[in-house]
Amino acid sequence: MAALRYAGVSVGYDRTPVLTHVDLELRAGQRLILVGPNGAGKSTLIKSVLGLVPVLAGEATVLGESPAAARGRAGYVPQIDTLDADFPVSVRQVVMMGRYRRIGWWRPARPADRRAVAEALELVGLADRAGHRFGTLSGGQRQRVLLARAIAAEPRLLLLDEPFNGVDAVSQEAIVRVLRELSAAGTALVLSTHDLTVARELADLVCLVNGRQWAVGTPGETLTAGKLRSAYGGGLVLVAP
Amino acid sequence: MIEPFTVPFMARALTEILLLAVICGPVSVFVFARRLSFTSDALTHTVFPGVVIGFMAGQLFAGALVAAIVTAVALTLLTAGGRVSDDAATAVLLTAMFSIGVVLVSRRSSYTSDLTSFLFGRLLTVTPRQIAETAVLAVVVLVALAVGARAMVFRTFDPAGAAAAGYRVVWLDLWLNLIVALVVVAAVRAVGTILVVALLIVPAAAARMLTNQLVGMAVVGTVLIAGAGYGGLWASWTASIQYGVALTSASSVVLLLVAAYLLLVPVRLLRRRRRDPVVPERNSAHELVG
Repeated sequence: MAALRYAGVSVGYDRTPVLTHVDLELRAGQRLILVGPNGAGKSTLIKSVLGLVPVLAGEATVLGESPAAARGRAGYVPQIDTLDADFPVSVRQVVMMGRYRRIGWWRPARPADRRAVAEALELVGLADRAGHRFGTLSGGQRQRVLLARAIAAEPRLLLLDEPFNGVDAVSQEAIVRVLRELSAAGTALVLSTHDLTVARELADLVCLVNGRQWAVGTPGETLTAGKLRSAYGGGLVLVAP
Repeated sequence: MIEPFTVPFMARALTEILLLAVICGPVSVFVFARRLSFTSDALTHTVFPGVVIGFMAGQLFAGALVAAIVTAVALTLLTAGGRVSDDAATAVLLTAMFSIGVVLVSRRSSYTSDLTSFLFGRLLTVTPRQIAETAVLAVVVLVALAVGARAMVFRTFDPAGAAAAGYRVVWLDLWLNLIVALVVVAAVRAVGTILVVALLIVPAAAARMLTNQLVGMAVVGTVLIAGAGYGGLWASWTASIQYGVALTSASSVVLLLVAAYLLLVPVRLLRRRRRDPVVPERNSAHELVG
């Protein structure tokens, strides 16, 4: 079963499409990178998979169900700058949020929940920061905490919105390593980025978007000068890495 | 220091304020974290016409309860999904409902004294029945808060993350608005519609200066209200009995609460200065060029 299948899908707000003509299929353990300029619709596409933005046309299947029915089953790592750094919450509490749906409304966290939180923090290399306040960490460390939160929920499909924005090299390396481990264990990954070097390094599939889907395929097929220029418009200057 | 509270009406006033401390402490943490100060202010004003109608019908409690629930639902729906800017919608509802309340109360012959008691409460004339009603509301509020706390913390910290995890954000917002509305109903007779907002905003704002933990904030907030309640009642008693100065009890309580807040401001600044600076990690070229 495909983790994600979009056929001729348009997504958007208030019946106004933001992104059209999306045709994708992602299997367990595959890594899909969404590439496109600001405002291309990458975040909207991610939110549509999560069931937070409506699918206006076409057929969308997430983990075998419609995105709305699958809501809560896919993991999500938001952009760090959407969160209040002054919020009085510890790193451990943030990661525990990934377990809240399993724990339920009433019960206290069980040893299995605490173990999952500790393991997720260990995996992203921040076990020693568990007791720190979230807002005192650097941008890259905060991003890793949010990744740990998503991992603690043990999703089969994980979506990350610009996980490398404002992230230092150490954290970027840590995130890339963890993402490889997750996909090796069978988790399907979707992430958006501006960084073409990371896209080339990490992607099994690249989806080039800007208002519509311009190309989908392996990095070699999609990240070509011609396709990038057509997706980004005439103003793009490509510099060899 | 104990002697004033051997008088029954003072003991009842203290009991009422202690009950309010137990609920306002934790609820104020959510009001603070969700930045709902203005919404809470609006709720206190929108309950006002319900209080007046209830008073006229001899059912003040029921009137306040109905008005609180209706406005909590209306505020949630108005602000859901960003259809109307939070501030504008809230301000329209606040002013409209408050005006209705004033129009209603102005039709009575005892207009001035009624208005004063609705706006500023009558802490010293709290009856055992009122204390019992506050106690019931306190249990309801604390249970509702305990059940929803986890989800509401998640929603407050990361609304998109909570929605992606499967929570219905609108329902969580309604839940919190209803809790705040119930607190307003519980407190409105004792401290009035104007002053109740102080019990919902000041405790957590003051507690935040002492602690970085949500539970710690709730505990400190509760202790602050209890302390200000005791001190305010004692001060108003002493002022009027020993010095013949009329000092309204509810306003004394609120003034002491605000004084505690002001005293804690330097503590916060000191803590900030002492806090270890974040050690920056190695910067990448990617980060340097943005």
